[in-house]
Amino acid sequence: MERLSNMNEIQQEDWLDRQLREAAPYIDDEGFTARVLHQLPPPRQSRHSFRGAILLAITLLASVLAYLISDGGRFLVVEATRLTTLPTLWLFVLALGSGILVMAGGVIAAISKTRQLQS
Amino acid sequence: MELTDGDLIARVLVDDDQHAFGELVRRHQSSVRGLLRQLTRTDVALADDLAQETFLRAYKNIRSFRGEARFSTWLYRIAYNCFREDARRRKELVGIDEEQLQAQRDPQVADPGLRHDLMHALSLLPLHERSAVLLCCQNGLSHEEASRVLDIPLGTVKTNVLRGREKLKRTLVAWRD
Repeated sequence: MERLSNMNEIQQEDWLDRQLREAAPYIDDEGFTARVLHQLPPPRQSRHSFRGAILLAITLLASVLAYLISDGGRFLVVEATRLTTLPTLWLFVLALGSGILVMAGGVIAAISKTRQLQS
Repeated sequence: MELTDGDLIARVLVDDDQHAFGELVRRHQSSVRGLLRQLTRTDVALADDLAQETFLRAYKNIRSFRGEARFSTWLYRIAYNCFREDARRRKELVGIDEEQLQAQRDPQVADPGLRHDLMHALSLLPLHERSAVLLCCQNGLSHEEASRVLDIPLGTVKTNVLRGREKLKRTLVAWRD
């Protein structure tokens, strides 16, 4: 008898839960998402690009200054001439070293980005 | 392949990708708006305003989402807080007892539809029972999740669900027979 009453109670709960779920139909978006997106603060992207522009401008300015101070970039010609006089093995080591440095920079940037994504 | 909520959240966090956040809003708007409509006793305009506020707060505080709970549970918590703050402002946080429940039932305007009766009975439940029933029975949250959303002890959630259910069953007994 008690088991029958429990069964009846469980059935009633199932029925009530089903009715509650059915009473909550899907609500169409009808522009809701667009309204929310419209109210969001401007993306940080713009701040990033502003920072990038400042860095680029400073780099250009520094390059121009270095060029002017070094007597029209004479040091570049001198260094290039010195490089051509280096033995082939030294040139190879220099190229390999530079390549490893650039690659290490790329790997560090990729690892930090992955950590950022995982956290 | 469809991106998971976690993927979209990562895009928002790392790149401040508002399109990804838009996709999250599209996915969860129906359940959040539905919950708020029930909490505000089907005041659609108010519920939608609160839902907008919910998603704006979610965007601003997305860094505090630690992924320990489902994103939807986190959103429900923000939605419930928005509702509570608004209700406090409107001084509507007064529960309705069972006598009021009976008194407010007006047979003259009663719709013969079961859904209408159910919604009516639900809207007359005290807020603490209504919110617990809505989260657990309608939105499928576990008692533990509902306890986190409502910021009340687990035992209280279970009691509120039980009491709310009992009242609903008693009100809708005619539909079961």
